Amino acid sequence: MMNEPEAMNEHEKRERRTVQLVVALMLFVAVIYAVTFIKLPVWLPALQ
Amino acid sequence: MTEAITTVAHEQPPAGILRWLTTTNHKDLGILYMSFGGIMFFIGGAFIMAVRAELLLPGLQLLSPGMYNQLFTLHALIMVFGAIMPFATGLNNYLIPLMIGAPDMALPRVNNWGFWILPFAAVLLLTPFFLQFFGTGSGASGLGWMMHNTSLDLQSGIGIDFAIFTIHLLGISSLTGAINVVVTVLNMRAPGMALMKMPLFVWAWLITAFMLILVMPVFSAAATMLLTDRHFGTHFFDAANGGDPILLQHLIWFFGHPEVYIVLIPAWGLIPHILATFSRKPVYGYRAQVYALWAICFLSFVVWSHHMLTSGLPLAAEVYFMYATMAISIPTSVLVFCWLGAIWRGAMTFETPMLFALGFVAHFGMGALTGLLLPDVAVNAQYHNSYVLVTHFHYTFFGGGIFGMMAAVYYWLPKFTGHMFDEKLGRLHFWLTTIFFNMTFIPQWFAGLDGMPRHIADFALRFSAMNLISSVGAFLLGLSQLLLVYIVVKCVRGGPKATGRVWEGAQGLEFTLPSPPPYHTFETPPEIK
Repeated sequence: MMNEPEAMNEHEKRERRTVQLVVALMLFVAVIYAVTFIKLPVWLPALQ
Repeated sequence: MTEAITTVAHEQPPAGILRWLTTTNHKDLGILYMSFGGIMFFIGGAFIMAVRAELLLPGLQLLSPGMYNQLFTLHALIMVFGAIMPFATGLNNYLIPLMIGAPDMALPRVNNWGFWILPFAAVLLLTPFFLQFFGTGSGASGLGWMMHNTSLDLQSGIGIDFAIFTIHLLGISSLTGAINVVVTVLNMRAPGMALMKMPLFVWAWLITAFMLILVMPVFSAAATMLLTDRHFGTHFFDAANGGDPILLQHLIWFFGHPEVYIVLIPAWGLIPHILATFSRKPVYGYRAQVYALWAICFLSFVVWSHHMLTSGLPLAAEVYFMYATMAISIPTSVLVFCWLGAIWRGAMTFETPMLFALGFVAHFGMGALTGLLLPDVAVNAQYHNSYVLVTHFHYTFFGGGIFGMMAAVYYWLPKFTGHMFDEKLGRLHFWLTTIFFNMTFIPQWFAGLDGMPRHIADFALRFSAMNLISSVGAFLLGLSQLLLVYIVVKCVRGGPKATGRVWEGAQGLEFTLPSPPPYHTFETPPEIK
């Protein structure tokens, strides 16, 4: 079992990782949305 | 594997409607999502009953072609985005924290927001359909669930605009849900719950969430581009002004094909648990199934143009998409053989969840085999847009997705409610569903082989017998689903008490908790050995 300071530390680390992951995933979504607008109209018709 | 640690709830939810509007509890939101999915299942089903009534006899009796188009489009959109996906999301909300020993989802407030977007999206989708009866607008979108007829997309009435806004709302809801799943699984697992110890259902949802994060922005962006083409003077898809109509098909199917797996993978994740439980064996081929799910995830992104083999692709592209699509059968076969391995020489019993799980394996197998046929370039030229295609995707979506969800309902219902359901009625529901599902779709397969096209309100006389059988089967299939409502309501209201483990062979952290689980669980993380 963890003692109280260790548990607090673990809790803070987990919160920090949560924020980092959410920001990274939202940026990823934004990049894909932008690439779809800007690049896919150029890349995909090349398949034809 | 696990040590039962339960906590006593110290904080109770508010009473009444306020609880459901403001809740951030993963179990409450799971129930809301599943209830919403269930209601939409019946609304989508009602729409297709009208379509099958029109197809009962040759000629036009009940519906105009335009109304027919709206009804099958709404049926498809509602079943995929309103019923199966929200129901699977409800399962993940309720079960993932319990399965990984987390107190809740990582982003509980976002979770609430993600759910409450859905009813507004549903109202938005249905509004133009009902407005037409009051003389406003030309009705809902009637262009199929993927709206891939570009010229009609650009010319049709307000129904398309409503559908575009609905897609944006659904995109926000799906993305918030997917981000929540990824963060929860990667960051909230109990100590000792290594990734390769996670239940397959959690793996399946982690993979599904990654897929949603990758393809939903493409679908939303395609919808935005359609909106700007229609109203703001851009020409992404308008051939008359230098745009490319086929581009929309590429973008939509780049989303649309992975979407098929987004619907199916959650079911693939839960079926191994059910087969293992009722075979009294551990999950068979755990690692092989995890790798197969990732392989299917990867392959699903690189096969989208098999939906467009008749759109004039160059031969090299056609051949590539044909073989890449067929390659999906390899990891899919791994899954099927692992499911069969799970029941091989097991001490099987045939309770309702097991019946639906076995029904899932059989029907999904038929859907998968017909799916192996369709990407063949030569075959596709004949069967594209025929009822062969309709049969194929109903064997995967209904035979796979819905049978899987039904298996999950019966498997976890005692855990959710604390009561056992009526087993006799459950088995009756399974047999009625199986018989009438096949009665509906086997005739459609033969009508398709004989050349009957889909999306048409009328048909040639030679298809009469097949359509008559199919329509009667569809009505009976629809009616038999009312039995499910009765079973669920009866189970929620009472019945024999369910134990914590519920089923003799059940394994997993959620079965270490009482049934129903307390409002707050795993505030102290359990120890996973």
